[in-house]
Amino acid sequence: MKRFVLRFLRSPEGVAGLILLSCLVAMALLAPVLFPRDPLAIVGRPLTAPFTDASLPLGTDRLGRDVLAGLMHGARASLLVGIFAALVAILVGAVVGTVAGFAGGLIDEALMRVVDAFQIVPGFLLALAFVSVTGPSLPVIVFAIALGAWTGPARLARAEVLSIRERDYVAAARVIGMHPAEIAFKEVLPNALPPVLALVSVIVASAVLIEAALSFLNLGDPNIVTWGSMIAEGRNVLRTAPYLSIVPGFGLVLTVLGVYLFGEGLVEGMAHRRRRQ
Amino acid sequence: MKRAWTLVRRRMVSSIPVLLIVVVGTFLLLEMASGDAVDAYLVSLGGGDAGLAQSLRESYGLDRSALARLWLYVSALARLDLGVSVAFNRPILDIILERLPNTLWLMGSATVLAFTLGTLLGIVAGAKPGGAADRALSVGSLALYAIPSFWLGLVLSLVFAVQLRWFPTAGIETIASGKTGLARALDIARHLVLPVAALGMIYLALFLRMMRAGMAEVWRQDFVLAARAKGLARRRIVLRHVARNALLPLVTMLGLQAATMLGGSVVIESVFAIPGFGRLAYEAVAARDAPLLMGIIVVSAVLVIVVNLLVDLAYAWLDPRVGAGEASS
Amino acid sequence: MSSFQISRRGLLQGAASIALLSALPGAVHAQEAPQGGRLVVAADSEPRNLNPAIVASNAVFFISSKVIEPLAEAALDGEGALAPRLATSWEGAEDGLSVTFKLREGVTWHDGKPFTSADVAFSAMEVWKPLQNLGRIVFANLEGVDTPDDLTAVFRFSTPTPIQMIRNALPVVTSVLPKHLYEGTDIASNPANNAPVGTGPFKFAEHRPGEYYRLTRNDAYWGEGQPKLDEIIFRILPDRAAAASALEADEIQLAAFSQVPLVDLERISKVPGLKVVTEGYEALTYQLVVEINHRNKILADLKVRQAIAHAIDRDFVVATVFLGFAAPATGPVPQNAPEFYNPDVPEYAYDVDKANALLDEAGYPRGADGNRFQLRLLPAPFFSETRQFGDYLRQALADVGIDVTIVANDTPAHLKAVYADHDFDITVGSPVFRGDPAISTTILVQSGIADGVFFSNQGGYANAELDAIIAEAAETVDTEARTALYNDFQRIVAGDLPLINVAEWGFTTVASARVANVGNNPRWAVSNWADTGLLP
Repeated sequence: MKRFVLRFLRSPEGVAGLILLSCLVAMALLAPVLFPRDPLAIVGRPLTAPFTDASLPLGTDRLGRDVLAGLMHGARASLLVGIFAALVAILVGAVVGTVAGFAGGLIDEALMRVVDAFQIVPGFLLALAFVSVTGPSLPVIVFAIALGAWTGPARLARAEVLSIRERDYVAAARVIGMHPAEIAFKEVLPNALPPVLALVSVIVASAVLIEAALSFLNLGDPNIVTWGSMIAEGRNVLRTAPYLSIVPGFGLVLTVLGVYLFGEGLVEGMAHRRRRQ
Repeated sequence: MKRAWTLVRRRMVSSIPVLLIVVVGTFLLLEMASGDAVDAYLVSLGGGDAGLAQSLRESYGLDRSALARLWLYVSALARLDLGVSVAFNRPILDIILERLPNTLWLMGSATVLAFTLGTLLGIVAGAKPGGAADRALSVGSLALYAIPSFWLGLVLSLVFAVQLRWFPTAGIETIASGKTGLARALDIARHLVLPVAALGMIYLALFLRMMRAGMAEVWRQDFVLAARAKGLARRRIVLRHVARNALLPLVTMLGLQAATMLGGSVVIESVFAIPGFGRLAYEAVAARDAPLLMGIIVVSAVLVIVVNLLVDLAYAWLDPRVGAGEASS
Repeated sequence: MSSFQISRRGLLQGAASIALLSALPGAVHAQEAPQGGRLVVAADSEPRNLNPAIVASNAVFFISSKVIEPLAEAALDGEGALAPRLATSWEGAEDGLSVTFKLREGVTWHDGKPFTSADVAFSAMEVWKPLQNLGRIVFANLEGVDTPDDLTAVFRFSTPTPIQMIRNALPVVTSVLPKHLYEGTDIASNPANNAPVGTGPFKFAEHRPGEYYRLTRNDAYWGEGQPKLDEIIFRILPDRAAAASALEADEIQLAAFSQVPLVDLERISKVPGLKVVTEGYEALTYQLVVEINHRNKILADLKVRQAIAHAIDRDFVVATVFLGFAAPATGPVPQNAPEFYNPDVPEYAYDVDKANALLDEAGYPRGADGNRFQLRLLPAPFFSETRQFGDYLRQALADVGIDVTIVANDTPAHLKAVYADHDFDITVGSPVFRGDPAISTTILVQSGIADGVFFSNQGGYANAELDAIIAEAAETVDTEARTALYNDFQRIVAGDLPLINVAEWGFTTVASARVANVGNNPRWAVSNWADTGLLP
């Protein structure tokens, strides 16, 4: 573990990602402390330019809402969407993959056809349809994004399980008469999980982008600020007040970049560890 | 050739249950919706009374039970009949076939751009892992990968269409221009430049990174080490051994990305007002046109199946030649 | 003339930005336009039915009004603010039981057949009355149409029908269809609904789905020297940002109905070669309204409704949400309808203290968290302004201790929730005033309307006095007496607040400076554009 951390810290990508993500997490955590008011509250003259008013350092949007407050609270929402979507996707994927791989036979066949079905429908289309049908709210959006993202983890988990289930300790568990479900979730799943977790960074990053794209098409949750909704709001003023969409746009790019870089670092750290084994 | 046919046949058979799952799943999803296409249509009228709504629902069969409609849908689908769109009041297959070519051009061009440029730059980066070019391309591609495509589209259109006027702002071709043949093809190409760039960038970055990673992996393999020991020129090793072996996973990735790219075209076609398949999907969602949305999802699923089949055929064709070099593994 | 001036005054009450825009030189007064040219116009939707005799909506009129003409069009001046089109005169009988139309001579359909009173009679009895969304209301009591000769049509009604209402409805509900193409067919599915044949200055040429509609000059048009243009192309640009870019790149020459977002107007008005025109929407007034579910015990209390009305800063809404391109509303009839507008109604100035006091009085003190009660707000998704006002309203009500959750729905879900399921506390709606309160305004507050009728009173509000006035006005033939009844109507609605009128707005047009005669009638965007031309 110590080696892994050292390896990670030696990769410039990993360190850059770590720094970026730490800043974002700090922003997200500090948002309610620094800006206890609802970030959707109208606090100043509409379309105040950045750096012109000390109390509103990044200016205001069309309705006079504080851009900085929105940015901080938006970090929170974007990260939450990303992390929760990834959690749901990995959880569902890992369970389905484990069941399919462990049960085999008809169950495996049926589950994998479902995985196929989800994989051939464009995830964004699915999210679009799902959000429009159920109405945009944060949990719905998280679920909609996870809907298109769980198949990767499912396939990976299944492949891992297939290789693990023939190993000695699984055979041993069978011999002592453990229930198959118990074996699957207590013995096999934990061992199949690490490679699946490598997908986290990809899923988080794409979830952040999909949330932004949904908001861009006016399918975001109107009760909270996300960077995507800020871009969509600012898009109508793109020419008059470009900072309104550029600032959250950079926020998005940096978040996704941070997540990827961090993921790179993880992969590098793990790759070295593996080779040593 | 025989092998290819077997592959095609096997794929077609195994696709049927998957498609059925897609159809039933989508149907159930759309059943959850509150309000239907008739509501959406009546708003466009600025209102209407209950009698009108009732007669419209009857004419589209929306008043029957869910199970009956699902059965009707599946049996019509078996005859390649996708039904009639409520929002457009036309056969869905016609609408989709009208829009599909635009999207195929968009996706095809974006794929070609992303694949060739991504692979080439990936080779440049992977030729000397850790070098200056590698680091620069690596960071650059990550940044590209992180940019939301709709955002990129807005910025590209702002700079190159509105400010510089190098390219048109929107559409697939100059409207009612009367152009034919080569002139029309060039016109369409000009319209496609910006959307293709906006859609393709993310995949360019993806292919670049995969190529680079793949090459880094191959460099470490024995047969490359052997080639280097034999004293072969570095350039020759890069191209003949390393790059070719790293290319295969990219071909697989092409198929996997087909679905994602189709999803991405929804936003890009909205930004650039391209009358394509993706925008049609958004229009169907906005109009709550369930039959149309069903048709779109089914067709996109078929499209993805076909693309993957083509990729597999390409893979099968590429594999034996490459396999010869892979003696060590 | 008066309606135009009032609209402008109303607009001027808003933000300062409007002063700059209105100062633009003469977009309105008749210009001499040369013959010829192709005008490319942005369109944001493709109606599934282009027949204005069946679908009287602005999206349909925008395209089809150039092809199919009504009996009369709205005008800035002239008798009853109408300009004759296919009818040259109209007269109501004293008893309100008939209206006589004299028709224009020498008019032919685009396919060469002559236009006669038989076409008018057919359209009225077979299309407007039974099929059209608004005609079903206006012509509900139409019994028959007599055609004593080819150029006279006499409408007979079973109950006294106010000529005032018929006159006000003419531009919207009387698009005349060719009898010879529709008779004996299923009118609703006639192919001519999507390739209309009319008498208008332009012929329908083609529709490329997702791309454009093309109209070409009608050389046999009855208007002398009209139309000016050779061709009009409606280019489909659903994205609002795309219209502005296309204008700047001169790919299109005109974008109507505020397709260029309001926030972009100040910038675009400075772009050389483009002009912003606010005229031409005086008779197309949309109203920003807070609809209320009176089934909610809290909202059934007048004091609570008054508090909400006091909590809304109308000037702020006009200045911020509409950037000055709107006017604060005082009641259910907009100032743009001077024939009916009654300024003498109870008003609710922006006053947070008073709102708080009213809520305290009503028995809803603030709780420990500062909130009195919670409401679910469903802003209609029809306009970005309705959504934005929803965002504003949430904040404004938070200031008086009402905790509002916004429930965002797409159009079908919104309609179902509000008008069928009544599953809301308050909504933001955008009804249209259509020239006469009887057409689509009284229905917003009248009781006894069936569930599921869109844009009607679905909030469970019932007021016997108001219902009686509405019923009486519907059969009052005398114009003055009828107008007086609608004055009472406005006073009661503004006082009892079955709904809260916040603002009223028209739209803006952005056009190339080369386009002549933009916005020169109160329904310009949906009129026939016979005199619209392209300067070199």
